[in-house]
Amino acid sequence: MQELGLSLLITLIKVLIIIPVALGVSAYLTWFERKLAGHIQNRLGPTVVGPFGLLQPIADAIKLATKESIIPKGADVPVYYLAILMALVPSILLLAVVPWGPGFQIAGKYIEPIISDVNIALLLAFAFGSLSVYGTIFSGWASNSKYAFIGSLRKAAVIIAYEVVLGFSVLGVILLAGTLSTVGIVEAQIQKGVWFIVYQPVAFILYLYCMLAESGRVPFDIQEAEAELVTGYNVEYGGMKFGAFPLAEWYLNVIALSAIAVVLFFGGWDGPQILGPISPYFWFLFKTFALVFFVLWLHWTLPRFQAKDITEIAWKILLPVALLNLIITAVVVYLF
Amino acid sequence: MEWLIFAVLGTWLIVSALGVVFVKNPVHSILFFLSSLLAMAGIFISLGAELLAGIQLIIYAVAIVVFYVLVITTIPWEKVKRFEGFYKKELIISAPALVILFILMAYMVLKGKFATPVGVIKDNVREVGKTLFTSYLFPFEVASVILLVAMVGAILLGRREEG
Repeated sequence: MQELGLSLLITLIKVLIIIPVALGVSAYLTWFERKLAGHIQNRLGPTVVGPFGLLQPIADAIKLATKESIIPKGADVPVYYLAILMALVPSILLLAVVPWGPGFQIAGKYIEPIISDVNIALLLAFAFGSLSVYGTIFSGWASNSKYAFIGSLRKAAVIIAYEVVLGFSVLGVILLAGTLSTVGIVEAQIQKGVWFIVYQPVAFILYLYCMLAESGRVPFDIQEAEAELVTGYNVEYGGMKFGAFPLAEWYLNVIALSAIAVVLFFGGWDGPQILGPISPYFWFLFKTFALVFFVLWLHWTLPRFQAKDITEIAWKILLPVALLNLIITAVVVYLF
Repeated sequence: MEWLIFAVLGTWLIVSALGVVFVKNPVHSILFFLSSLLAMAGIFISLGAELLAGIQLIIYAVAIVVFYVLVITTIPWEKVKRFEGFYKKELIISAPALVILFILMAYMVLKGKFATPVGVIKDNVREVGKTLFTSYLFPFEVASVILLVAMVGAILLGRREEG
């Protein structure tokens, strides 16, 4: 009983550290993204609130929180509110299976900086990543608006297609590592001394596509194509209710899926010991942030695909490539 | 401690299963269905069947239910069947079947082969994979061929010839 209480307490502490940090980082990613977008487009980005516009996210939050709460006419009110939860909760749960670094000893107790080290961690990660689609679908449906609804349907079609590709693309890595546990995959890479991107470059590219599609980033952001759908599924939401959707989809999801990509392809916390004992954590965060930066960079550089092209790319090109990659990997793993 | 987790998950599952049946709006019904699938995944995890829980989440709760949602949300609302009272005749006919099924299942759970656990399996994923691809390879392949046939048939039925 005492053992159980202690492990519950440790988990609670981990949760209380990771969730506020992730939410804070997500809020500041909005600032970073706007700065980045500004510089990509030869503007300055936010400059007015605080030095370098650093207080802009706080100003935004206050603005969103104090706005009048409007519910559209004919909306399905319970589902309308539930949709916000359905978008946020899976994105936060995704963080539960991310291993932020190697385990360490405190007072004779071995602690792993991951909330739940289960041996189906990868399956859970993809399940949560795709479960967040319900937030999008039901927000569009419950708003009783055509624009919002078209946005949700597009998102649903995208998720169905890319979910399949995502599953098949990472199977190669699972074959190489021989486990579904995120900690186990990182340890396999450290043990082999090679990051799996060397063996599975195709899988990484496929994963990148799927990551962009699942988090609704450019070039796959047809669910909210401003030009045609006036931002799509969340158009009928206002104030902080509106703020929750981009927070979940664009920031939390991107952070978590980047972290999973680092686990799968970039050796997790593997890296030279340049900062002493904290260097594994530094490497993990550095690699994750580099991938997040890459996603933001794409977002402000590329145009958007047409709706019909996106699903066609997934079913006709990406899925066969993923299957081929899987078969080749399986044969190679079997032979050597 | 275990009974508490099971009680919470079980209550959640029963409430959402009842919700699926009794709620009138089809979209609310699908939401309850989704909730019951999540509760089921929770029960699988608490019973130690981790792979099953993962598959339940990723295939059932996401892939299949998204299709349901797509279909249900795009149905024209004026064509949705309205509530037309309880079906009394059907209720009377199905009641004995329900009771017999319940007794059978209760007997299986309490006295049957499933009642005695085979021992703790450490690596769930590996064991399930091994069993599926050795002892049950033939049924597994047959099931996948049936699914493939169903898929081809559905595409054929749903496709409208152009011209």
